Amino acid sequence: MTVQRFLLGTATVVTALLLQLTVIGRLPLPGAAPDLLLVLVVAFGFAEGPMAGMVTGWVSGMLADALSTHELGRLALAYALAGYVTGMLQDDTERSTLRPFGAVLLGAVTALTAYVGEGILLGDPRVFVQPVLRALVSSVPYDVVLTPLVVPLVAGLVRRLDVDPLRRI
Amino acid sequence: MRDSRRLRLTLVLLLLSAFTLTALDFNSAQTGPLAALRRGIDTVFGPVQSVLGGAAGTVGGALGGLPRLGSYQSDNKKLQQTNDRLRGQLAAQSGLQCQVDQLNALMHLVSYTKYRTVPAHVIAVGPSGAFEWTATIDAGSVDGLKDGMTVVTGSGLVGRTKEVSTRTSRVLLLSDPDFTVGGTLIGQSSVGFAVGNGAKPMTYSLASTRSVVRKGDVLLTTGSDTYAPGVPIGTVTTVTPDTNAISRTASIAPFVDVSALDLVGVITDPSRTAPRIPLRPVAAGPKATSSPCAAAVPQGPVPTSTPSPAPKPKPKPKPVPSPSGTPTPTRSP
Repeated sequence: MTVQRFLLGTATVVTALLLQLTVIGRLPLPGAAPDLLLVLVVAFGFAEGPMAGMVTGWVSGMLADALSTHELGRLALAYALAGYVTGMLQDDTERSTLRPFGAVLLGAVTALTAYVGEGILLGDPRVFVQPVLRALVSSVPYDVVLTPLVVPLVAGLVRRLDVDPLRRI
Repeated sequence: MRDSRRLRLTLVLLLLSAFTLTALDFNSAQTGPLAALRRGIDTVFGPVQSVLGGAAGTVGGALGGLPRLGSYQSDNKKLQQTNDRLRGQLAAQSGLQCQVDQLNALMHLVSYTKYRTVPAHVIAVGPSGAFEWTATIDAGSVDGLKDGMTVVTGSGLVGRTKEVSTRTSRVLLLSDPDFTVGGTLIGQSSVGFAVGNGAKPMTYSLASTRSVVRKGDVLLTTGSDTYAPGVPIGTVTTVTPDTNAISRTASIAPFVDVSALDLVGVITDPSRTAPRIPLRPVAAGPKATSSPCAAAVPQGPVPTSTPSPAPKPKPKPKPVPSPSGTPTPTRSP
């Protein structure tokens, strides 16, 4: 069970990361590109709770950091926090269609805030007002648009894993 | 209800470990275990990115072109006319070029279009889109690339290599706020620095207040231990009028559109021993002894590669489209 979960998480994270770097990041969209990896982390948090959310966030952030030019651990911290926060949202039993969108919005803003905060702490010359605004008006809305594509998919995969052992019994 | 203590403990652990790694990586140089880890992950992801990125580039190019499908026909016609006109001009100028080459040979100068380049495709971009302006190319240390090499297209400067792994390398694009390059305006001797500014034009600050900067002036790289000299960067769009500042600043619109890169060339000239000279003097070798008019033909390619994309002899740097029309380079293993 745990092994299956781990494999599912790794496979989706690696696929999303590769798609992000080679396809989504290069789409000729106005502004900054959407962040598929972040939406995936939020989806895991939302489907399985804060623990799964933050562990997925940490691992995927670390991989993304390794394939970047900034310091290791920056996106890992941002995504782990986003996964935790959106995992807490899952707490309520009521289901609504708008809730996943809210979760992605909250996750994207949390991750952006954390990343910018770290940038300020480290004195990163890349973090200044203009890119932050650019991310807020382009990247964050794009992430929300990705919600209906990613969140139900992850929820479905997780549910399938949960059901499987019962079938075998 | 959830075990909230365990949750909070895990959260704190994850955040602390991430931040510790950041702090360690912030202080470490290009060597050490963390750099090795990064290179290892690069080596694993590199080939997959090459495959995906190549396919994605084709698909993306097709998709990106869809909205403009109608205008292609008229564009084609216009381009054909321009092509004919330029062909005529080229024929007229070939004699002039011959003279220029002779003069250059006499003065031991060489233009950037004669540099040896390794061709490479852009296969991926950096993960934090709004903040980082980086690209991954499908050439690495096996192709002779090293950190800090100049990356160009036929139009001009693209950026410089940073973090070269075996088969892929990361390129810091000229729009990255971390990117700084020494630049000289054509026809002037004063030196300044152009700094990347994200989505906005680059900022060029000139140390001397006496030099006159005009709109439309062309900026070339000055050349240093990390940059090849004489590569066109861009043109001056606006000059900031300052009354009592000790330096002048201007906005530079780069010739190369870094958001639509495909084929680039990495300048791998081994001789980078003469820094801070606007045009690199030719070291003793085949170049200086070859006949002047043969200099119009680009220098022989590097053993690891066939036709270099950038070398297109042209009399004056002008914003021309990226060399998508050049044949796809084949690299021998």
